[in-house]
Amino acid sequence: MKTPAATQAMITRLPPGKIGVWWFLASEVMVFGGLIGTYILTRLGSAGWSAEAAHLSAPMAAINTFILLTSSMTMVMAFAAVEKNNDRGLRTFLLLTIFLGLAFLGIKAYEYSSHLRAGFMPSTGSFWSFYYTMTGLHALHVLAGIIVNLILFVMARGPLVNGHRVELAGLYWHFVDVVWIFLFPLLYLT
Amino acid sequence: MSAERAHPNYVAIWIWLVVLMIAGVAASYLPLGKGAVVALIFFIAFTKAVLVAMNYMHLRFENALIYAIAIVPIVLVLAMTLILFPDFVFHR
Repeated sequence: MKTPAATQAMITRLPPGKIGVWWFLASEVMVFGGLIGTYILTRLGSAGWSAEAAHLSAPMAAINTFILLTSSMTMVMAFAAVEKNNDRGLRTFLLLTIFLGLAFLGIKAYEYSSHLRAGFMPSTGSFWSFYYTMTGLHALHVLAGIIVNLILFVMARGPLVNGHRVELAGLYWHFVDVVWIFLFPLLYLT
Repeated sequence: MSAERAHPNYVAIWIWLVVLMIAGVAASYLPLGKGAVVALIFFIAFTKAVLVAMNYMHLRFENALIYAIAIVPIVLVLAMTLILFPDFVFHR
């Protein structure tokens, strides 16, 4: 089958890396979407989950939400710095994003340790299984984003020949932020 | 990547995101019915997600192909959840 001319034109206008990252994010939507959809259905079909959710710390999660939203801004500022050929700005904003990602993971680790000390294990009940699975998978994604940003930071010490990769890494980072935007109310506010 | 592309105001978007986050937390304390509170909280979360996608992920500058790649899996996830809804919620 011949690709329609209009579609062909759209594809050729886009960098292949960008199509690749969006395609990858589409698969990630299915991963997190499947998990979140199952959580919503199971929660609606069972009783007593709100009482379990009340053991979570909404203020701590709100601080983490603030950190991740801010990190999205610093990440996009890093990309803006690339566009202006501002390599110092790029390194500063990448470093800030990495630092904020680590702060998010630190708070998450503190939350986990306090739950575990209180006796809430992944095997304690369905709510806790979902909680650890969803936030754990998300935390792994944050960790992966930090590693990618670290690689970009090291690369940014040289000439800015791979600046477009900052935009692609940013797409991933913002997606991880969007996932948290939904996990926060799903787990902590309802 | 194009050097001449007009940027959204990234800091203004961040301020909106933080304001909406505070609004979402405040909404959870409103003396309304559980359904109304949940609807409000998720409307706010959806608005935040759209703000990030359109401005930080630059979706507003992308063409139809990227929109298609982004929207199709969301539709599939929503369809899967809605199709399974009666089984889980009404069939105990």
